[in-house]
Amino acid sequence: MKSWLAICVVCCSSLAAACGKQEVPAPRSALEVRSAWARAADSGASTAIYFTLGNGGAVADTLTAVVSAEGEETAMHVSMQHGGTMHMSPVTQLPVPANDSVSFRPLGAHVMVTGLRRGLVAGDTVMATLRFVSGATLEVRAGVRAP
Amino acid sequence: MMKRLWVLLLGLATACGEPMRGIEIEDAEPAPALAFTAYDGSRVDVSAERGKVVLLYFGYTHCPDVCPTTLSDWARARRALGARASQVRFVFVSMDPDRDTPELAFKYAKQFDSSFVGVTGTSEELEALKQAWRIAAYPEGDVRERNYTVAHPAHTFVVDRRGRLRFLYRPGVSGEELARDLRRLL
Repeated sequence: MKSWLAICVVCCSSLAAACGKQEVPAPRSALEVRSAWARAADSGASTAIYFTLGNGGAVADTLTAVVSAEGEETAMHVSMQHGGTMHMSPVTQLPVPANDSVSFRPLGAHVMVTGLRRGLVAGDTVMATLRFVSGATLEVRAGVRAP
Repeated sequence: MMKRLWVLLLGLATACGEPMRGIEIEDAEPAPALAFTAYDGSRVDVSAERGKVVLLYFGYTHCPDVCPTTLSDWARARRALGARASQVRFVFVSMDPDRDTPELAFKYAKQFDSSFVGVTGTSEELEALKQAWRIAAYPEGDVRERNYTVAHPAHTFVVDRRGRLRFLYRPGVSGEELARDLRRLL
């Protein structure tokens, strides 16, 4: 009798767990993009995308790539000054600490899109996808601002 | 009346007390030669601009970050100057002769303000310019595939009304700060 009771308890527990799983919504990513914008480029061949990347979760992640169909090539760069000369260095990995944020802003880190397939004017929208070491991806929707 | 006088005096004291945001070049000498014919046929010649303040930026049109940030700040400065902006000449010089044409440089500068002029020259002309102005500009990356960035001077060069190379402004000085300094140079 006891063993039948145990089997019933296990079955009911499993059923409840299964039902519970259906009711719990899929976990939301703790990563988010805020305040994204891109530079107008109506005659130049490249633009920069700027945004704040927030990580509201308790686990750090690392941004490893950015892709965009807007241009032939998309890459993360940081502008740096050495001895009065400006350089741009590629960034291949950008840690996003837990409960923190990183900023892509003018004269600092930015996403560079080269070989633009169209001119960009104020009011346009530029799309890009961020890829993280965790496997997460995040869409960036950047409004184009006048230069 | 007294109140107005105090406000005026306070304003003057503030204006005089604040240091210029630019790096002042000691014993400023006449600016080196810089002369190009722009895409629209007009002549850009620093030596012919006596009586005006000339701002120069040496960059390239594929520059996604520093050049547009600087030219955007110039545009804000120009707007802040109001009518006095006509006494300032804003010149962008592309240092990327392999990709930039006079037409591209010209159109690029106009994106920021219709009064801005963008020019460029041949490799030989730009080499001579680098020597004369003692500046560095060179491609970094895959030049053969035309997938490269250009290292270029960080600062805006300011030539005063007497034709002397007088100030350097680092990137990031706001348009308002730049306008305030330019008013003192005019």
